[in-house]
Amino acid sequence: MIVYISVGLLGLLALSIPVGIVLFLLGFGIDTFFSSFPLIRGLGNMVWSSSNSATLIAIPFFVLLGEILVRSGVATRTYAALDRWVSWLPGGLVHANIATATMFSATSGSSVATAATVATVAMPQAEKLGYDPKLFSGAIAAGGTLGIMIPPSINLIVYGFLTQSSIPQLFLAGLIPGIALALAFMAVTVLICAVRPDLGGTRRTFPFPQMLRALIDLIPILILFGLIVGSIYLGWATPTEAAAVGVAGAMLIALAFGGVSWSMLSQSLTGTVKITSMIMLIVMGASFLNFTLASAGLGRELTEFMTGLGLTPLKTILVVVVLYIVLGFFIETLSLMVVTIPIIVPLVVAQGFDVIWFGILMIVLIEMALITPPVGLNLYVVQAARKSGSLNEVMLGALPYCLTMLAMAFLLIAFPSIALFLPHALQ
Amino acid sequence: MELKMIQSLRAINKGVALVVGAGLLLCAAFVLTDIIMRQIGSSLGGTEEIAGYTMALATSWGMSYTLLELGHVRIDLLRSRVDSFKRALFDVFSMTVMTGVIITIAIKAWPVVERSLVNGSRANTPLETPLIWVQLPWFAGWVWFALMSTVTTLAALSLLVKRRHAETENFVGAFAEQETLQ
Repeated sequence: MIVYISVGLLGLLALSIPVGIVLFLLGFGIDTFFSSFPLIRGLGNMVWSSSNSATLIAIPFFVLLGEILVRSGVATRTYAALDRWVSWLPGGLVHANIATATMFSATSGSSVATAATVATVAMPQAEKLGYDPKLFSGAIAAGGTLGIMIPPSINLIVYGFLTQSSIPQLFLAGLIPGIALALAFMAVTVLICAVRPDLGGTRRTFPFPQMLRALIDLIPILILFGLIVGSIYLGWATPTEAAAVGVAGAMLIALAFGGVSWSMLSQSLTGTVKITSMIMLIVMGASFLNFTLASAGLGRELTEFMTGLGLTPLKTILVVVVLYIVLGFFIETLSLMVVTIPIIVPLVVAQGFDVIWFGILMIVLIEMALITPPVGLNLYVVQAARKSGSLNEVMLGALPYCLTMLAMAFLLIAFPSIALFLPHALQ
Repeated sequence: MELKMIQSLRAINKGVALVVGAGLLLCAAFVLTDIIMRQIGSSLGGTEEIAGYTMALATSWGMSYTLLELGHVRIDLLRSRVDSFKRALFDVFSMTVMTGVIITIAIKAWPVVERSLVNGSRANTPLETPLIWVQLPWFAGWVWFALMSTVTTLAALSLLVKRRHAETENFVGAFAEQETLQ
């Protein structure tokens, strides 16, 4: 059954059948070949119960929040403000790319949206100020991936939903690794630019009053982040409710900055529907596959398989890491996460690992998948925002950040408390 | 003719998507009101339930818009390496498989509705919503999706037969991610 699933999965995906549909097909296959009773009778109920979910409505809310912020011009102001604060570092504006991506990660749940936003705002600056296009665009692609790590994160909501683990705990667990990754990205930039100053463009300092004034543009985003995360941990709101609060907050910010118009609103709404349906088809497919796998006794087979291999828990995790890196070349983010959860998570948990911790490790690995060629969506998104140059430049530029993520993955394995400290401390 | 039809389907489903989006916005407002009311000591009640129903309806009715906007993620590793005729073959094949699966889902969704209809089931919640009120429109959304998927597949197939395969890219091709995100 494990072989069937793996071969079937890769084969059907290679035929470029939509990912969600592939998951349903695999479920049908499990039902036909491995189950003694007709599981397909449960199909209607699975589709109903996995979409009738007050937890998952947080997805469209967070998408909408991001869409509103992106389309209302708030990103441009944030970028300009952060430029005032970080451009004195070696690497100059590259830090503004990372910092803006980090701030947007803190409010939006999507990596691709984050990368697209920052790329559109930042790219014109790069040419004007003479930056090396490789490092500059690589930093945007990498910085954008933080969107799925720093809460709120749509991917963590889906992970929590499919593994039935606590979403607030997952959010807490993602906070330190997310911020650490952002800082590590900046440190790597400083290092690279110290060795090769020509890559970094002009360093600029701004008079202090200007820096203070720039802070005003950052306040709304910071308040929004505080509102979303704070209301969850103060117990005022569930993640879903906090997402609704976020939508209202984003609307207020957009109004205050004068970015609201009828066309902006309708674009945000249809964009939200499009992304939500895309995610939900995959989530429903995964729920159905999960259900068939569990009914057909995958758990037993996996345990036997693992005992047969005789791997230690550490070796298991290392195999899993390699698996994600390899799969990450071809599949990415949500699809990669959702298609592997039904098989990998039970396996890892059976080895005694913490399900929250593994969620965070998985996110780091999936972030890497976003910027590893040949299929790395963020690379393409950043490339699309550039007027010239080849995709190879973006790939090369993203490489140092990719290695940083790998280092973070190993740190997480060596010191699980990087992720687990906050959830345990606040329990 | 095919392209014209796709054009009008797109327009219709954009309208549907706007209604769905507005529904989501309304639901967010409702949830927000409830949070505020809870802080002052009362509650509207039933927000969880209504949020769940909104999500179920948004999902089933939003699918067709995503389909026509090429929003459903596909891995086009092999597909992107071949010429436009073979690409069209990939696309039509994938659409046919997709349509088959969606029709199966729509068919299997009916028993869920039927049971609620026959038993007059109500939700096991404070609101005691008659489930049929939500499940019938939810089911209709899936039927709509199955219909859209079928029509789109037929349109692509017809163009393919007429050797106008280059024109199918536009409505059954791989996803156009950048467009939506800028």
